[in-house]
Amino acid sequence: MTSQDNGTPSWGARADHRVLNKDTRRLSGPEKVKGEAIYSIDRHVPDMLYGKLVCIPVAKAEFTVDVDPAMEIEGVVIAIPLREGSTLYNGQAVAAVAAETPELAEDGARAVVVNYTPQGFVVTAESAKAPGAPQVSSRSPNHAPRGGSNDKGRGDMDATMEALDASDFVVEAEFDVAIQHHACLETHGLLADFKGGDEATIYASTQVAFGIPGSAAGPLGLDRQNVRCVVEHMGGGFGAKFSMDVAGRAACLMAAEVGRPVSMFNDRRQEFETSGNRSGSIQRIKAGVAKDGEILAMHSDMDKLGGVGRGPGAVQPYIYNVLESFTLDYALHTNTDSSRAMRAPGHPQVSFAMESVVDMLAYGIGADLVEIRKRNLSDPAYHRQLDRVAQEIGWNEHQHRTAPGKGDGWIAEGIGFGVSTWGGGGGPGAAAEVRIERDGGVTSSIGVQDLGTGVRTLVAMIPAEEFGLQASDVLPRIGDTQLPNGVGSGGSVTTASVAPCLKDASHKTRLAFAEHLASVLKCEAKDVTFADGKVFAKSAPDRGLTWKDACATLPAEGLARTGKWIGDLQTSGAHGAQAARVQVDLMTGAVKVLKMVAVQDSGLVLNPLTWRSQVNGAMIQSIGLALYEGRVMEPDLGIQINANLGDYKLPGCMEIPELVAIVDDEDTRQAVIGVGEPPAIPGAGAIANAIHNACGARITSLPITPDKVLEALAKLS
Amino acid sequence: MKSFELARPTSLDEAIDLLPKGRGPAEIDDARPLAGGQDILTEMKDYLITPKRLVDLAGVAGLDAYQSAPDLVLGSLTRLARIAADPQIALHHRALSIAAESVASVQIRNQATLGGNLCQRPRCWYYRNESVPCIKKGGAECFAESGLNKYNAIFGGGPSYIVHPSDCATALVLLDATVTKRGPRGESRMPLEQFFTLPSEGSVVRENVLKANEILVQVEVPAPKPGWTSTYLKFKERESFDFAMSAVALSARIEGDTIAEARMVLGAVAPIPWRAGEAESFLAGKPNTHATWKEAAEIALAQAEPLEHNGYKVPLTKGLIQKALRELSGGESK
Amino acid sequence: MRLLELEINGDRLHVAAPPHWTLLEVLRYELGLTGTKQGCDKGDCGACTVLVDGKPQLSCLMLGSAAQGHAITTIEGLLPAHRAQGGAGADPVQDAFDRCGALQCGFCQPGMMLSAKALLSENPTPTSTDIKHALSGNLCRCTGYTQILEAALLAATKTEEVL
Repeated sequence: MTSQDNGTPSWGARADHRVLNKDTRRLSGPEKVKGEAIYSIDRHVPDMLYGKLVCIPVAKAEFTVDVDPAMEIEGVVIAIPLREGSTLYNGQAVAAVAAETPELAEDGARAVVVNYTPQGFVVTAESAKAPGAPQVSSRSPNHAPRGGSNDKGRGDMDATMEALDASDFVVEAEFDVAIQHHACLETHGLLADFKGGDEATIYASTQVAFGIPGSAAGPLGLDRQNVRCVVEHMGGGFGAKFSMDVAGRAACLMAAEVGRPVSMFNDRRQEFETSGNRSGSIQRIKAGVAKDGEILAMHSDMDKLGGVGRGPGAVQPYIYNVLESFTLDYALHTNTDSSRAMRAPGHPQVSFAMESVVDMLAYGIGADLVEIRKRNLSDPAYHRQLDRVAQEIGWNEHQHRTAPGKGDGWIAEGIGFGVSTWGGGGGPGAAAEVRIERDGGVTSSIGVQDLGTGVRTLVAMIPAEEFGLQASDVLPRIGDTQLPNGVGSGGSVTTASVAPCLKDASHKTRLAFAEHLASVLKCEAKDVTFADGKVFAKSAPDRGLTWKDACATLPAEGLARTGKWIGDLQTSGAHGAQAARVQVDLMTGAVKVLKMVAVQDSGLVLNPLTWRSQVNGAMIQSIGLALYEGRVMEPDLGIQINANLGDYKLPGCMEIPELVAIVDDEDTRQAVIGVGEPPAIPGAGAIANAIHNACGARITSLPITPDKVLEALAKLS
Repeated sequence: MKSFELARPTSLDEAIDLLPKGRGPAEIDDARPLAGGQDILTEMKDYLITPKRLVDLAGVAGLDAYQSAPDLVLGSLTRLARIAADPQIALHHRALSIAAESVASVQIRNQATLGGNLCQRPRCWYYRNESVPCIKKGGAECFAESGLNKYNAIFGGGPSYIVHPSDCATALVLLDATVTKRGPRGESRMPLEQFFTLPSEGSVVRENVLKANEILVQVEVPAPKPGWTSTYLKFKERESFDFAMSAVALSARIEGDTIAEARMVLGAVAPIPWRAGEAESFLAGKPNTHATWKEAAEIALAQAEPLEHNGYKVPLTKGLIQKALRELSGGESK
Repeated sequence: MRLLELEINGDRLHVAAPPHWTLLEVLRYELGLTGTKQGCDKGDCGACTVLVDGKPQLSCLMLGSAAQGHAITTIEGLLPAHRAQGGAGADPVQDAFDRCGALQCGFCQPGMMLSAKALLSENPTPTSTDIKHALSGNLCRCTGYTQILEAALLAATKTEEVL
């Protein structure tokens, strides 16, 4: 009976939990398996129009747009220009159309006349850095320090060069990471339900429900407080859905203009071209190690490929202790849409290069791949986690422990490792309400959206634990700006931001209910005990009330309390280690991941079932980054040439290895941490290392496709 | 998709009559035949073609022949899933069975037809992008020739460098299949190998001899000669669901320690299923050893002319050839 | 417009739709059956999978007219079909996917479940490899694959119990 503490709220001892830290089925499960869950893209309201964007098919252009021809199509209700003058990247929307059916909207969009004059552009790193290359934009040079023109690099360059000279073994390599896409199955967009008047409801596919009213109010011409956002179910975000995007803005503008609801969602090509990518990077690294395994020096020159954006901030030497390091961190702009946050922005890219370098140094001095990591990581969490993944993956029995396989024969097997860190803490701002009705019903409310992570279930689990009920006894209400404040779901902050509010609200409600029940049970409030669906005085567990009977004693209005964020209920600092075992087909260059193991700490795990989903999913997305996924830009045409789910290859069922996700149970922190990002970091590095370990081919460019493997193997022989 | 008229004829002559009368590029978009729709609907959704009329073959009599092995007759409307599931085909025409099973996904094989699979259009990403005026769409240039040609041809390229995307085509050419087509002037029959055309030979905007007013009726495969076995090795970049990066269809008669005869067709390396005739000749009568497999692979790829980004197809295909020979010799393939 | 006579989830329906509408569009826009998802609209993702006479096919690559004369089952029809065949409680596939938490965002799930359903109808005792093959035309981006595969195996056990 963890939660019966009457002081400040705490999660209580793990051994006492009845609901928390136990596998709990998703409460959205029943309606999702029946196909009844309504996503924003499914939402249909009377009199609704369908919108379609008109996108420009060149990388950079001066243009004019004439929407009138669209209006000549019967069924097209409105067509509007969205911008004028110039565009910076392929797929940028210049106009929008809304019509009675999606097909007519498409006909309308295709009827809009866009006259454009292509301008000089660069869409690849190579061309962006070429002498005399066209400027991406007038705001900044193509290649510029991310920290501004005064940024001369981090660390002591002279000391680093000296340390390199003093090293026993030095490696030098360039690492290229292709641009990965979020590729959410539900594309970006929203339904602006506006029929004239002063109010509107937006059904959006968004990671920030509470951000939408502020963004939509302007284009709708309404007051922010009269715009409601509802996100009942959502088809994935991964960091790409933090704004309402141009599709959302256009839908609002058109709804306002015609006084009819407009639903507008990207098509798949638009989703690729303009609505979400993880930045690529080019990292030129020189590093040195001492014979005893200490990494002495690292010089890194990093270009972040963030398109018209600057890309994320993570830098080398990532989380390793390096005696002297010097890092140049540049944005290398291209005429492509800006990168967005994607599961641990910046980390997988730097982790891949760093883990590769660590292995290269280890092989150079004949060190064990696990031991060299422990030598250069100070946090004991990594030491125990590395030992655990090594054990699970079978490292001690593996044949290539200090030298890779030779790449001869038909097939080879290898193992690789990686480590990661992330914050995962939350912050203030959210609030929750827990309400007990006289009929025994319990409602737990917070406006936060559930991207698929399982927040909805947590919203019920926390009060259920507090009241001695089951999660299914509590009705969770989420995804609505009319509910208490939620939080944007990004950076793994959701759990650590909302769980404390829910705990506080549950705790306060329980105290108030205990106060009320004291007279009924003829005991002191502090002795009122909630357990197993019953309420009783601590001294008389046999003579209590059922939960329902206890609730029946409440006044007609029931009982409700709101809770706020309490910092002590959460913390930050997640650590994880992963290992991968791969098989390389030396005849074809095919890489098959056979097994991946993740050991991850994240404080108190509220729902292990959804936690495993997150960790397994992160490992599979790493397999995608490592082996399959990458945006391909046509350098001369300026367009993305693989902007569809056939040519851009997501891992499918056949690519899934045995996955083992292990909670680091030596982490005894009694506080919650988000786990969305941390397990998404080390996998690609571990896989690249495993490939090298198998056959001696060091491939420094992601994704590691068969052509690259064959080329590297050919160089070996 | 742009709207169109949907015609649903019941006879072949009626269907042919609904197809374009003329032969010019303007007429071809007047009407197109629709079988399983797994390729043509994607082309229409991408606005690569915008036919005014689709002629639905589903109700047309005479396209649904199905005679199981050993003498195989497959109407053009035969679903790929049926071919893949037929144990007789697996027994007598194993390469075809494996090829049919390797196509796309379960869902697509349930809907896709053999005729559609043989007549599907290339996957070259320049062709598949509406905004690129490539030579396959009547433009002047093959953008793949000097562009991003990772998936393009290493044999038989020019002026277009597409690779033929059909797995069944590669397997059926191996198995010496014959194809029957029908047009306004009646029916004609030809070896499937002659059905496909190189861009330098036939019309560069097509991959075969079928005219806009002709319909592929059926495919026949002779019973295998005694002692011959076959296989099809398809290499996919993504195992779950992908087109071939390279493929080897191989049949052979192995007598004791000797490869008596062999036949080899390579897929996804040329604009047509690519017959490896010199390797076939080399293999005849050779000892069945790894050294022979390696040499056959070298010979098969000797004339390859890779482009900038598809050089890997040479070692890849060599590897697949060795694997295929190993498999037919009783070793494992994967 | 063309009047289509369709059999969806056991109901005979007359629907007017333009000839170029796919079955997916008819289901979502005319019939309000939004459990069938549009993920890519070009046959690459499997989110729009429906059963056509019990076999999984892509509703985005099938004209509405082609569905005529066939029994179409969408995700909304799984439970009614299970009940109609005398099954009690939940459909075994739906129940297993729910139990295993075989979803994250859930957008791919209807298609995954229908692919699994078709597999189990043909092969009630599939191996893990059979399941991977059968589901390999359905993409999941949250990559709940591990639990999806578990669910399909569990459903197989349950289907056997029902039979």
